[in-house]
Amino acid sequence: MAVATSKAQRGPRFGSERVREALVGYGFVLIPLGLFALLYLYPIVYSFYISVHEWGGIEGNLGYVGLANFRELWHDNQFWTWPPERGTALWNTFYYALLVVPLQMALGLLMALIVNQPLRGRAFFRSAYYFPALTSSAAISVIAIYLFNADGLVNAGISAVIGHPFHQPWFADPDTALETIIVLDAWTTSGTMMLFYLAALQSIPTDVYEAAAIDGGGVWRTFWKITFPLLKPAHFFVATVSVIGALKLFDQAFIISTGSGGPAGSTMTGVLYLYRVVISEFNFGYGAAVGVVLFLIIFSLTAIQRLLFGRAEIGY
Amino acid sequence: MGVSRAWKLTGFLAVVAALSLVAAFSAAGSTKPAAKNTSAAVTTVSLSGWASSPEETAALRRTIAAFQRVNKNIRVQYAPISGDYDAAMLARFASRRPPDVFYVDSLDVPDYQPALEPLNKYIKQSGLKLTPYYKRLLNGFTVKGQVLGLPKDWSPLGMVVNTAALQRAGVTRPTNWAQFTTAMNRLRSTNAVPGGAPACLALDWARILAFIYQNGGAWLNAARTQSVIDSAANVQTVTTYLNWIKNGQAKTPAQLGVGWCGEALGKEKAAIIFEGNWVYSYMQKDFPSVRFRVDPMIRNKQRGNLSFTVSYSMSKFSPNKAAGWKLLRFLTGRTGQAVWSKNSGFLPSRNDVKAPAGRANFVKEAPAARPWQFIKGFDRVNDLAGKELEKAFNGDESVQQMLRNIDQATEEAIARSR
Repeated sequence: MAVATSKAQRGPRFGSERVREALVGYGFVLIPLGLFALLYLYPIVYSFYISVHEWGGIEGNLGYVGLANFRELWHDNQFWTWPPERGTALWNTFYYALLVVPLQMALGLLMALIVNQPLRGRAFFRSAYYFPALTSSAAISVIAIYLFNADGLVNAGISAVIGHPFHQPWFADPDTALETIIVLDAWTTSGTMMLFYLAALQSIPTDVYEAAAIDGGGVWRTFWKITFPLLKPAHFFVATVSVIGALKLFDQAFIISTGSGGPAGSTMTGVLYLYRVVISEFNFGYGAAVGVVLFLIIFSLTAIQRLLFGRAEIGY
Repeated sequence: MGVSRAWKLTGFLAVVAALSLVAAFSAAGSTKPAAKNTSAAVTTVSLSGWASSPEETAALRRTIAAFQRVNKNIRVQYAPISGDYDAAMLARFASRRPPDVFYVDSLDVPDYQPALEPLNKYIKQSGLKLTPYYKRLLNGFTVKGQVLGLPKDWSPLGMVVNTAALQRAGVTRPTNWAQFTTAMNRLRSTNAVPGGAPACLALDWARILAFIYQNGGAWLNAARTQSVIDSAANVQTVTTYLNWIKNGQAKTPAQLGVGWCGEALGKEKAAIIFEGNWVYSYMQKDFPSVRFRVDPMIRNKQRGNLSFTVSYSMSKFSPNKAAGWKLLRFLTGRTGQAVWSKNSGFLPSRNDVKAPAGRANFVKEAPAARPWQFIKGFDRVNDLAGKELEKAFNGDESVQQMLRNIDQATEEAIARSR
């Protein structure tokens, strides 16, 4: 009886079974979708809106300025210069990405290959390699400031090896500040890359390797001819994630330079520049323009990667 | 069995929810009359500032307590902001709930200006006399005749010296650039600072600008409508400053392996530094055994110094302006300043309040100290100036070219701020 009533009610209200299922489905995702719209979509759209306005944040009024913020950004030699110059936000970011992405990928792949072997204590190594990725980047940065200080542990170690005092102020020297952050980030994020590569390695069918072994393929040849090409979807995914992450570099640069992007602009990144413009100058409109340009750059680079790697699908 | 357990759980949750609701309603009911009784008589004023140290926060709490003792009908809700102060304040302004009274650094006055309540009418109505305030400090918070805050405290730069090192080298107090150079040479030749340098000089415009003023130069003209940094006097100043470092008479904090020059003084890696009053609390806390004294700032063609000052300002959006003004007036008044200065060790902003012991040479700098303040949106210029300074120091460009580039960026910022 209850079933009959329910069916009778369902029919006219929800139409077909398919529509009903869709409605139930949307019902389930309504809250997360609403949060996504409120916390992601709305700010993105609003950023585009305020990028064509002059707005100080502490005042209520927005004044429409058209593309003036973008014109100013085009001539802003602290954001970018032509020819490229170190110490400018955009080129620092690209320089960082250019070095850190291959380093992260190579380290991640190497560690994945190691922990994919039937070694003793494999689980320990997997956890140990992944551990830095779990640690807060803020905490790592704060500790790194001490380690890489002129009188820090790193210099003490180098001094012991070379046999005379070595006091390189790694984060206080414009020639080494960003490079030190690169080394630090390659170490902290390669654990995550290892995890992606490990999952991909384990999805490669073993019969491919068995066939290679029967054909007499050596370890090196097997890696370059079989493993590396078959990891193509993983390469695409890891590269995309790394590039996006690298172009968004903020926290390490912020903590290490105490928000200034120094010394001499060497750790100023695109996102840190955005932050400084908005927070230090109370210039939301210009900051939004910086954000829009960074969004377009990241979006374009991801699209280019997608084209370069093709559809990144593998047939075994 | 499973179903009955689920029902039990549901029932338990329902009871918990019901009890919570009852508790919430009864709590609301019990507090309401009390709130009504007090709100009729008592106004709550919110006060915010950054929290540099627990000692500073404690000193302010004591000053607030002194205010509360004589203003029973005003309750001060003090909420110190830790972390990025500007970011936190921006969020409060964006939500239209800024504190009623808050700190504003003199450097940030041009940026905060649209949100600050001009105090002229309150000053006039209350008959407050502005003459006791150090004039140059007050100027830092006065824009086109509008007083946008009253100075909380301040500090100029002083020449802070390691007395033992100077004694060892037989160096008497240098008073000008030439004597300073001689003193550094003497300290070096006598190896009075083993493993360090005679002086610590920061590659920082917030130090170099004091020397620029001493040489008759400036960054902006008096009306702040034009950049004047690209001048022969400034080329001479910056060249001299950088040469002190290049010649090894002085070293930068980075070269000395320290975070700032105060640390170099504490670790006895430098005998002479140019820092402000903040060096006192730092040395007392971290290096109590190192003997030091503060001498007057050196001079060249004229006296020249910088003052770093912070105001108590009132929000334009404050619903409690009358009570807020009472608090602001007390905190910057004679009694409030005396309590604050005694407890914090900071320099009072008024000449009728005695500065803490040992600070006389700092106070004497007041007539020569100009506020560290420029124009709206100056942070970008400051960033660029820092980069340019590093380039000139490394020999990547000439001092003249550096000043030309900074001049251009400053002119652009002036144009933007109009």
